Amino acid sequence: MAGGVAAVQHNFKSYPSVSILPSSQSTFCGTKFITSIQYKRKVCQPKGALTVMASSSKKILVMGGTRFIGIFLSRLLVEEGHQVTLFTRGKAPVTQPLPGEADEAYNAFKSKILHLKGDRKDYDFVRTSLAAEGFDVVYDINGREAEEVEPILDALPNLEQYIYCSSAGVYLKSDLLPHREVDAVDPKSRHKGKLETEALLESKGVNYTSIRPVYIYGPLNYNPVEEWFFHRLKAGRPIPIPNSGLQVTQLGHVKDLAQAFIKVLGNAKASKQVYNISGDRYVTFDGLARACAKAGGFPVPEIIHYNPKEFDFGKKKAFPFRDQHFFASVEKAKEELGIVPEYGLVEGLTDSYNLDFGRGTFRKEADFSTDDIILGKSLVLS
Amino acid sequence: MATLLSSSSSSSLVSSTNLSPPSLPSLSLSSLSLSSLSPSSISLSHRSLSSSSRKHSLSSFTVKAVASEKKKVLIVNTNSGGHAVIGFYFAKELLDSGHHVTVLTVGDEGSDKMKKPPFTRFSEIVEGGGKTVWGDVGAIGSVLEGLTFDVVLDNNGKDLDTVRPVADWAKSTGVGQFLFISSAGIYKSTDEPPHVEGDTVKADAGHVAVEKYISEVFGNWASFRPQYMIGSGNNKDCEEWFFDRIVRGRPVPIPGSGMQLTNISHVKDLSSMLTKAVENPTAASGNIFNCVSDRAVTLDGMAKLCAKAAGLPVEIVHYDPKSIGSDAKKAFPFRNMHFYAEPRAAKDLLGWKSTTNLPEDLKERFEEYVKIGRDKKAIKFDIDDKILESLKVPAAV
Repeated sequence: MAGGVAAVQHNFKSYPSVSILPSSQSTFCGTKFITSIQYKRKVCQPKGALTVMASSSKKILVMGGTRFIGIFLSRLLVEEGHQVTLFTRGKAPVTQPLPGEADEAYNAFKSKILHLKGDRKDYDFVRTSLAAEGFDVVYDINGREAEEVEPILDALPNLEQYIYCSSAGVYLKSDLLPHREVDAVDPKSRHKGKLETEALLESKGVNYTSIRPVYIYGPLNYNPVEEWFFHRLKAGRPIPIPNSGLQVTQLGHVKDLAQAFIKVLGNAKASKQVYNISGDRYVTFDGLARACAKAGGFPVPEIIHYNPKEFDFGKKKAFPFRDQHFFASVEKAKEELGIVPEYGLVEGLTDSYNLDFGRGTFRKEADFSTDDIILGKSLVLS
Repeated sequence: MATLLSSSSSSSLVSSTNLSPPSLPSLSLSSLSLSSLSPSSISLSHRSLSSSSRKHSLSSFTVKAVASEKKKVLIVNTNSGGHAVIGFYFAKELLDSGHHVTVLTVGDEGSDKMKKPPFTRFSEIVEGGGKTVWGDVGAIGSVLEGLTFDVVLDNNGKDLDTVRPVADWAKSTGVGQFLFISSAGIYKSTDEPPHVEGDTVKADAGHVAVEKYISEVFGNWASFRPQYMIGSGNNKDCEEWFFDRIVRGRPVPIPGSGMQLTNISHVKDLSSMLTKAVENPTAASGNIFNCVSDRAVTLDGMAKLCAKAAGLPVEIVHYDPKSIGSDAKKAFPFRNMHFYAEPRAAKDLLGWKSTTNLPEDLKERFEEYVKIGRDKKAIKFDIDDKILESLKVPAAV
């Protein structure tokens, strides 16, 4: 695709306005993904509900969309027959084939996706380019600060829905778990920008929906969540886990997250609502190590527990998760919108392994330096 | 939509339900109204269903019209232990809703065990219009001679030997719905909490054999798996264990990391779930229900919440239970592992909601703890002292 400069690229001339694309093959090659999403949605419909969801084609802007969540989401949106524009700086390729994706499917997607190249922090550019295009719906996948949202809202006064990817990281740490949408949030958290964004959306009166994922995993994950374990398992190394290993966390498959984002589109029940979206079971740190081993066909791993206070790792992270319980109830989305994750943990990790790490791809090179510090000291003590 | 059945027979029940203890609201049948959400036991609305509305209706709600019939319920109650209080709350809640209740407590009315709560408050059941009798389950036929019931709850047996006589007698006398208090302790431990209904259970657990038996014998059965409870009238210490130490300025020794998650519910959550099952028999039929609140708390968290409720500081001390050998079991009243179930079936199938609010509930519990003078009671802390000694921690000033 030729790189345009601050211009919307039209990759094709005409666009079918309403019909849902008849692609019947699986979009996300490998396992779960089937485009009988229509059927699924109807099944999950609460009785008596007449909502016709996302049946008309919309002009959709995705802020981001080229790195992880957005890659899966944009495919679903295109398949649903929407006109999808990705707003990115173009650092990552605008489109890339999904692992194992058939050429035909990829090309079909590639031919329909649009790119708006720019820096979302250039607020003037955001205002003018968005106003020039006009969009019905915005999916804000990579927004971090409230001020990034203002120019978008300014440019799109007739916006139907602003769908925001927030984070369960906004919850205030608590002795009572799981986190629920009604719980106290932490205005001082690392994710306070997300909180401020939610507050801004609320105050502006726009029809917004905010999704709070926990830890996201799946093929193409750029956050070393499962990858961290896979590197060690592949190398046959022990897995160093801080403290008791009983800390409970929660992973949500990126494809389930993408499906949830689709489900809230045009859904009146989701108006001005916040939803936790993740897997419907939680997992201990030790359990996650074992689940990753199962997923990759590795033997049961040796787990070494250590007291992180006894070490100085400098700037490096010795473990990819917060050292605390961190999990959220996904009941609200289930009860109100019929959103139910498809992937169980081992199943989902297997999907990730088969489509990514297991094929020899990963985002970060293995770095066992902190492991060696931990293991080195353990050896010395014994 | 459901319509309120005219049950002329129910009007005769009004007079029997005019007394209720402070902790449960009273219901006058004439004020029953059927909204799209409320079951006939909506007298509890002040604490449960009113605020958040369920946005979709389940077919179980239309069953409510049928469920406003009043039932004759038999509660076979254990005479001791953590589960004893369940029967007490359940009896009172049913009476409040206008049902007929008989509580058969196992053993002798004159036994020493009856000198402990909740048995010391059984007069409240009688004042509420219920019957209280005593006897052995082996002789249940003669103890309850001539009586028939619509519903039986076995809140006594932990194995088939103890429950079978009750189940067989119930079947032979035409009981329509058989409910059983099982235990969430039968779930096999998992890397992926919480325990959810349907998860693998320990095949050799007594409760498992019971669940299997009643599922074979009764067309309409349900099993309820509780965890830990707090609530006035409890037979077994729960929060008191923490209060005992906090109030005396003693460190609270917690085994392991203190990160273990558990579920501590107010017993009202259990009685409300059971009542829902009685009033929605079709929806409840054939199901397992985790009979717990919908929040977990860590062991450390429980200690902190107790201290907060008492308005006092707390010093938590962690220890390795292996270091104290056989005393480990008696040393601490909770399992030393994640023990965390969620009440998903009750929410999905019965439209039940949890009302446990540990921070608030514990404040009430602490008030009672002080009111009965337990803070001044002389208590020995032998095992605590052993633990602290092994850790070289000073016991108290």
